[in-house]
Amino acid sequence: MSKAKNHSIARKSLRRTIFFVAAILFAASTFDAYNQAQLALVLILFIGVLSVTLLTGISGQLSLGQGALMAVGGYCMALLMINQSYSLWVAIPLAIVGSALAGLLLGIAAARLTGPYLAGTTLVIALAIPTLANRFMSVLKGDEGLPVDVGYPPVWFTNLFGEPSYEQWQLYVALPFAAIALFLASNILLSRTGRMWRAIRDNETAAALSGVNFSRQKIFVFVVSATFAGLSGALYGLRGLVGPSVYPVSLSLLLLTAAVLGGIRSIFGAFIGTVIVVFLPDWIDAVLHQFELSEQVSNFMPALVSSLLLILTVVINPAGVAGTHLHKHKHK
Amino acid sequence: MRNRASLSRSPRSFISTAAVVLAGALALSAVPAQGASTPGVSATEIVLGMQLPQTGAASPGYNKVDDAMRAYFDYVNSKGGVYGRKITLVVKDDTYKAGLTVSTASALINKDKVFAMVGSVGTQTHISVIKDINRRGIPDLFVNSGYSGFYTDPKKYPTTFGALGTYVVEAKILGKHIKENYSKNTVGIVYQTDDFGRNTVEGLATAGVTFTAKKTAATFIAGTQGSGLDAQMQQLKDNNVDVVVVGAVASAFAAAVSSANKIGYKPAQWIVISVGADATTFQTILGARGIAPAVSAALLAGTISASHAPSPGEADDEFVKAFKKINDEFNKGPDKRWDNNILQGMNIGYLTTSALLGVGKDLTRPGIIKYIEANAAKLPSAALSPLGYSTKTHEAFTGFWIGKYDAATVLKPIDATRKVWTTDSAKGAVTELKYTRPAIAADALPKVG
Repeated sequence: MSKAKNHSIARKSLRRTIFFVAAILFAASTFDAYNQAQLALVLILFIGVLSVTLLTGISGQLSLGQGALMAVGGYCMALLMINQSYSLWVAIPLAIVGSALAGLLLGIAAARLTGPYLAGTTLVIALAIPTLANRFMSVLKGDEGLPVDVGYPPVWFTNLFGEPSYEQWQLYVALPFAAIALFLASNILLSRTGRMWRAIRDNETAAALSGVNFSRQKIFVFVVSATFAGLSGALYGLRGLVGPSVYPVSLSLLLLTAAVLGGIRSIFGAFIGTVIVVFLPDWIDAVLHQFELSEQVSNFMPALVSSLLLILTVVINPAGVAGTHLHKHKHK
Repeated sequence: MRNRASLSRSPRSFISTAAVVLAGALALSAVPAQGASTPGVSATEIVLGMQLPQTGAASPGYNKVDDAMRAYFDYVNSKGGVYGRKITLVVKDDTYKAGLTVSTASALINKDKVFAMVGSVGTQTHISVIKDINRRGIPDLFVNSGYSGFYTDPKKYPTTFGALGTYVVEAKILGKHIKENYSKNTVGIVYQTDDFGRNTVEGLATAGVTFTAKKTAATFIAGTQGSGLDAQMQQLKDNNVDVVVVGAVASAFAAAVSSANKIGYKPAQWIVISVGADATTFQTILGARGIAPAVSAALLAGTISASHAPSPGEADDEFVKAFKKINDEFNKGPDKRWDNNILQGMNIGYLTTSALLGVGKDLTRPGIIKYIEANAAKLPSAALSPLGYSTKTHEAFTGFWIGKYDAATVLKPIDATRKVWTTDSAKGAVTELKYTRPAIAADALPKVG
């Protein structure tokens, strides 16, 4: 690929990232504290959903265990922060390296697996998190977990921008990482690497005949996806705790749900899907508030509605929210 | 080859759609700010928040505590509230997943603007938010966890107060009983591998009751009891354990008994930490496994447990009578059957009302923390043990009595007369407690302030 082409891709990705950051900052400025915390959660999970987009949506490898890779990132970061007293700005990049290594090991195993076998393997890994946390109790502290949080902003930050609330600080910590993740994901999708991954997804034989080393690329996808998941997991742990109950199997399913609802092959879809899964309980709560339903009913409504949305998406519009316009565009 | 779904969208389209969605989120989720200087307190209302598993594997039994608390608050409100302010309890379901607990706490603090958190259930889940709650100076009152780490160092968590005796205290008291009565037996334990289980093992060890890993100590990961504890029971059976201590929640005790029953294992004695021995929860869970109430009652009969409060089956106890009446009249929950969980919820409601009354009309967050620390002796409750709150510890009840379930699933004192034992969460001795519980008023409202 020519240098000019590379620069063009980078510029395009950078423009998207700058718009994204500006939109988030604008939205945050109009939000109350609760919604700022929710927006921070959107940014954190958006990175995790991007890991699903790259792995499942783009390269066609179904993983039900991204939550486990998030846990790897979370535990690496927490151990570095607690045992080595590293700041989160140092601990998070190192945690990403840890999760990338985990992704490499998983990728080597997964390169030989496809479809339900791969899904089953990754699901088992997600299920193993509590066992591992309790097996290595002295280090990982079992179910009790490792308490960590974003702490307080540095003095230079408060001198420049004033004292942020805890929710704002959560948002400001998550935003640069989400922006970097968006930039990288956009670059990958626009580049030759993205095309190779899509080729593997669509037809491995054809990809191989075109010169794509699909075994190596499948491992590479896992490493990149694990990097995103590890970053998301580290930031997710910074909300208060790194422990088995923070990274349950349902978290992996939530990421997949968000990716499918938004559009599993799209970065924009990953963002929209994340917004939906994070804010859906609040929207439902706002609606149900009018009807005074019993807790027995209202507690199950978010899961019920998201399940229905998932089924409707798969049946009616498999491309997800972000894919709707694609169909219209195609029919023109 | 190129995926147009991911690439065809222009940045402008991306931003405009994102802005619409985010604005929608704001419009639907935003709540008007409250004008009161102390969050959650106005001239007419005090808003309290609580989080617990209302659904999910850990919810059986515990999902009744919030309804009982609300019932007591509704009763207080029907009598004019606290200095004219009605108490509103906002409850969030965290399904016992810490990742969700962070979000529900954020909603209670930032959206519902609660004055204090009250009666939150769960050790693991509470760990994920306790630091943030304390950092904000929000009173974290009467937490439904016996984990000693929350309470024994008030400098670490200055706003957090317990609603139970610690698991260490209870295990030390049960350990003394085991040492004195089962020295000739092979004593084993099944416990959940979390703070609850480890606190239990720690307390028993302090009392001189120790176990051998994989022989007389069988463990399981908290929350996995739903699939049964067959392997754990088989292990204890193979090692001829005839006295089984259970350091786990009620759903785990039910699973242990069910599994033991299935493999024909009949230990001479079950000894269960109080929060795991609620009769209603035990029978409900076994009922869901197809075991008839009469059979589950027979399985429970003879089980030894401890309690800081009267047994819910003590129909003559004045607190039981009063709380039961309020429960019948005000509890709007789906399962208002009178049991330990309801009694505990009512007692937290009573204790909270006492503290709110004690502080006076000028209710502030620092004020209520200071008041509870300085006035533990003045705070009445249904418990048969005093409260331990002070500036040095935020542990709740320091005493337990030991009982045995009869055929009617009522926990009765193990000796003819009830003896309450007391100790600390450290290495202190277990001694008999002489304490006279203050009587409940005719209107069942605390007379404080």
